[in-house]
Amino acid sequence: MTTAMTCTRLTIFTVAGIFLQILGLSFFVFGFFPVKPTLSGVSGSESYRDPFCDSSPISNESDLHHPEKLKLLYQELSGISSKYDRLILMVIDGLPAEFVLGKDGKPPWKVWKESMPYTQSLLANGDAIGYHAKAAPPTVTMPRLKAMVSGAIGGFLDVAFNFNTQALLDDNLLGQFFRIGWKMVMLGDETWLKLFPGLFMRHDGVSSFFVKDTVQVDRNVSRHLPDELNSDDWNLLILHYLGLDHVGHTGGRNSPLMPAKLKEMDDIVRTMHLRAMMDRSHDQGQTLLIIVSDHGMTENGNHGGSSYEETDSLMLFIGLNSNISDYASATNNVAFQVDLAPTLALLFGVPIPKNNVGVLVPGTLSSLRDFEQLRALELNSWQLLRLMQAQIQSSSFPGFSCNCFLDGTCEGIDLDISECSGDKEKQLICLFRNAAVLHGIWKSKKSTESSSAMEDFSRALDAYNTFLKTASEWLASKTTEKPVLLLGLGVSAMLISCFICATVFLSLFKEVYHEPKDQVCSLSYLLNLEEMFIFALLLILVISMGSSSMVEEEHYIWHFMVSTFYLLLLFKTAKSFNFSEGMNILRDFKFGSIFSLLISGRLLRGWHQGGVNWTYLPDISKWLQQVGSGYVKWIQLISNFLVIVLGLYTLFRTGLNRKSVRILAFGFSACGFLILLHAGRYQDEMSTDFGATVTVKVIYYLLSISAIGASLVLPWSALNKDKSFLAEVGDCLYSIGSAYILCWCLLQLLLQQPINSGPILLLFLQILAILCLSSNDLQVNEWVEIAALYYMGMAGHFALGNSNTLATIDVAGAFIGISSHSTILSGILMFMITYASPMLFLLSLVMYIGAKLRNHSHSTISTHPETSLGQILKLKLGFPCLVPLCINSILLTAYTVVLLLMRNHLFVWSVFSPKYLYVCATTLCTYIGVCIVAATVTYTFSVTTFLRSNRTRHNNS
Amino acid sequence: MKEAKEKKNPEISVSITISTWGAFAVYVITGLFLIFGFHVVRNKYSVDLISDPTLTLRLLWIIEFPIVVIIYSLFRRNPEKCSYFRAVGRSLVGLIAGALINALGAVSLGAPIGMQSLSKTIHWSFLMSVFTVVPATAVLGASWIDWHRIFASLKPIGIIEHMLLVPAYGAIIGGWFGAWPMPLDWERPWQEWPICVCYGAIGGYIGGQMVSLLTFLSEHKNLKLA
Repeated sequence: MTTAMTCTRLTIFTVAGIFLQILGLSFFVFGFFPVKPTLSGVSGSESYRDPFCDSSPISNESDLHHPEKLKLLYQELSGISSKYDRLILMVIDGLPAEFVLGKDGKPPWKVWKESMPYTQSLLANGDAIGYHAKAAPPTVTMPRLKAMVSGAIGGFLDVAFNFNTQALLDDNLLGQFFRIGWKMVMLGDETWLKLFPGLFMRHDGVSSFFVKDTVQVDRNVSRHLPDELNSDDWNLLILHYLGLDHVGHTGGRNSPLMPAKLKEMDDIVRTMHLRAMMDRSHDQGQTLLIIVSDHGMTENGNHGGSSYEETDSLMLFIGLNSNISDYASATNNVAFQVDLAPTLALLFGVPIPKNNVGVLVPGTLSSLRDFEQLRALELNSWQLLRLMQAQIQSSSFPGFSCNCFLDGTCEGIDLDISECSGDKEKQLICLFRNAAVLHGIWKSKKSTESSSAMEDFSRALDAYNTFLKTASEWLASKTTEKPVLLLGLGVSAMLISCFICATVFLSLFKEVYHEPKDQVCSLSYLLNLEEMFIFALLLILVISMGSSSMVEEEHYIWHFMVSTFYLLLLFKTAKSFNFSEGMNILRDFKFGSIFSLLISGRLLRGWHQGGVNWTYLPDISKWLQQVGSGYVKWIQLISNFLVIVLGLYTLFRTGLNRKSVRILAFGFSACGFLILLHAGRYQDEMSTDFGATVTVKVIYYLLSISAIGASLVLPWSALNKDKSFLAEVGDCLYSIGSAYILCWCLLQLLLQQPINSGPILLLFLQILAILCLSSNDLQVNEWVEIAALYYMGMAGHFALGNSNTLATIDVAGAFIGISSHSTILSGILMFMITYASPMLFLLSLVMYIGAKLRNHSHSTISTHPETSLGQILKLKLGFPCLVPLCINSILLTAYTVVLLLMRNHLFVWSVFSPKYLYVCATTLCTYIGVCIVAATVTYTFSVTTFLRSNRTRHNNS
Repeated sequence: MKEAKEKKNPEISVSITISTWGAFAVYVITGLFLIFGFHVVRNKYSVDLISDPTLTLRLLWIIEFPIVVIIYSLFRRNPEKCSYFRAVGRSLVGLIAGALINALGAVSLGAPIGMQSLSKTIHWSFLMSVFTVVPATAVLGASWIDWHRIFASLKPIGIIEHMLLVPAYGAIIGGWFGAWPMPLDWERPWQEWPICVCYGAIGGYIGGQMVSLLTFLSEHKNLKLA
């Protein structure tokens, strides 16, 4: 038969398809997610000149290397007198602006307000002005810091590098300050040190690594504060407090530790305000204090997504001397996080960073004189115009020439103010022209001392502000230009690989189910109900990906569909129910398994109310946390105990009572004991002491040794002369599979939050139930069962509290048992926590194959000794590898196309892109899982074959 | 306009048969009572399924239940052994058992369990029971082999068994599809449990009736041709 593929060809095709898929995926990812800023280089003195002038440096080169001279040059060119000599930038990680400024014009909640009395009094007196600074997603620390100092909206992929911080090479404020000879001190999050290596005169970095530490991390920052405030050798002091974010991660917004932490922050603000700004005994010059937060937090204290709670970050200026009278106007202001960069650049007399898309924060200018205000706006406009020039062809700027607005010599431009309309680019140029013309009018009139100067001034101011706002929005939307070729290549490669996978699957499908020789098949083969359902589910998933609300609430689809599948199984079992047999035990077992699947599925669904829109609805985890942590402890204890007992039962079930199995069992029991010890002793204290780390490390080693040892040793020790070849392999695989699952479950019991130990147990029970069903002859095709396992894995993924926003990733768990900061290790741990359930179900495939082999060992295949190893491997391993790969490939390709279609959707960065990252990670998870399954099964088969041939040779001789 | 012909069969399964027109009449009557139920709810209590699902569902099943029992008990199996009132009585048992099964099915598919949705779930499952289980209990009683043959093996014989099977599955499948809009963020009041499921179930029930009528008609033609 020509359609029948050999095992080697099958493998080659599959691997080629996967390779193509990886290639296409990487092409697409690098094409779709912007990583590079638009302009390279650093703003210099040319930024103080009209962008239509030639950009040759103004003075000779040698001056530019001398900080003091450069500073003077900038001061002279800018024409804005710098009032401030020093800047204190206090970053409070994860502080939502709502805590300080309230929401929707209402003052903040009483708890929060009372926790920060000094800051509130500053706001009430008009000494401070606060802004709700909208942060762009992803709301994670590093991209947000980059946005604050460079003014540019970073690429989405920054979040992927959040644990792998690299130096910020683009033009930024700190670099500009460094160039004019500022001395900078940094205390706090060491992300700054990684972003700006070598820029700080003094620094003390703390790690954001021990998430459960909420006290020491801030004490390490504050201990330097008295000394630093006394000394006058610095120009910029950066304080980055991480404690509040840690409080949020461990206890949410309403954590009991929150008021105390806010009070601590307030005390620091008071100290700084009194010592550095009010106390004029030292000759330190004027100091500006800015308090910002990099992002907000959700109700649960997580962040990463784009909800209002997460993007609502704070920007608070203290010491601006702006004339604000009432509390409302001091708190009820809105800005963007990127606006900090141009504001600081202009206030402190350095060029605005090149790729900045922010605009001057309006209220910060009021202390400047009129011409300085307009000059500042002009400089900001020029900088944005330069950025626009890089994206609009120069023919769109007709008649613009160097300083022509000043001299009134612009050719072909009538110097009247006109209504701006037309497409966005034309509109922007027109707005700029209006502003420049009005500015010119004001300048010319000022010299003639006209009485209407005031009116001209406000008109020019308005015109500039309109232009800046429009240009900023346009530029922010433009940062996402896509290279078409790369995207096309990526998508087509993925489509081809999807096609290859499907073809390989179909050929195997035909071979298995249409060959009359094979026992599984019936001659008149038709798609039955379950198979239709599996395909329908795939189709529904693909369709639902196009809707943003379905992406947000994806868990509903999975739970609904998986429960429907269980009901179909129930229907199928009821159909085959035979009255003549009566209620024998086998049937009861079957119904029992299905009912346990249904019940556990419902419990899993109710455990976490996931998604975005209905997270406030009650669920089991909220209820358990309300009734007290004692219940959670009990659940943890029971789950741990049951997982070990059931796991050991499956391990011993094969009758493989060899020494190695007993050692394995002992190892797992020891692990379980250690995990309980760890949970009981170290979990509530939130401490990171030495004992806990050592315990966890021991558990890691024990588990990995057990799992690897089981897979390597068990095939050699399985020697049973009475059994057939396949039965022997089946026994062995069953034991290895149960060792894998037990190992993975124990690891998850250690890593996951205590509340998730219940779902882990339920998932484990589900695997046992479905294996019990399939070994009791479910009359469902093999590939349907494997697809169902994959789907159950995805449903479990959401049952563990995951969603399609980045905010639900459990960061706290990623540092368990790591003693020194390691990006790779914590990344791996985070991946293991997030993909606990899909991985568990993929690993269960080993056990599944084993169970199938044990079941069919009495049937016909074993009597054909001439069937080669390759043929058996193809038949037994083909579907377990191909089905998950195919499903994943279809979903990945479909979602790539959806993302491409949705590239202009309003929610592309907040909903679709995070989901795409999850889809990519699922792909990775599938690859790893399938690799493990394939390697284990192949290894076991080869070892057993080798042993058998040895034995027969031994017997013969 | 009851055109149901009573005809005694000397065969094993003695039952009352029904013509296509009879089936049509039964469907029309049940459909009319459903409409009547909605009418009562709207005009007498001036609520609807969206504003007060509990009351609406309760009235609907209370109105629909007697008529379904009265009609379908006419077609009971072995009418000489089993009296009319016995059929009515066992359909009461069927109502409760069917409601339990439907409620469990809904919960396993993800219906909310909290106290505030309990009454809604109960009355929804009673209505579903009227659509699915009650007619079958009235006709079949405790004949499990027939139940298994009709509902599990999907092999109904004769018009009356089709009338039990197709609308019942229509209601279940309709309800299943009716749950689809629930997670969408359209923020419409009818996306709440069990409103759109209920609409889906009623739609599926009526659709099932139509489908079964069409099959009767086509089979009728085939018979004539043959």
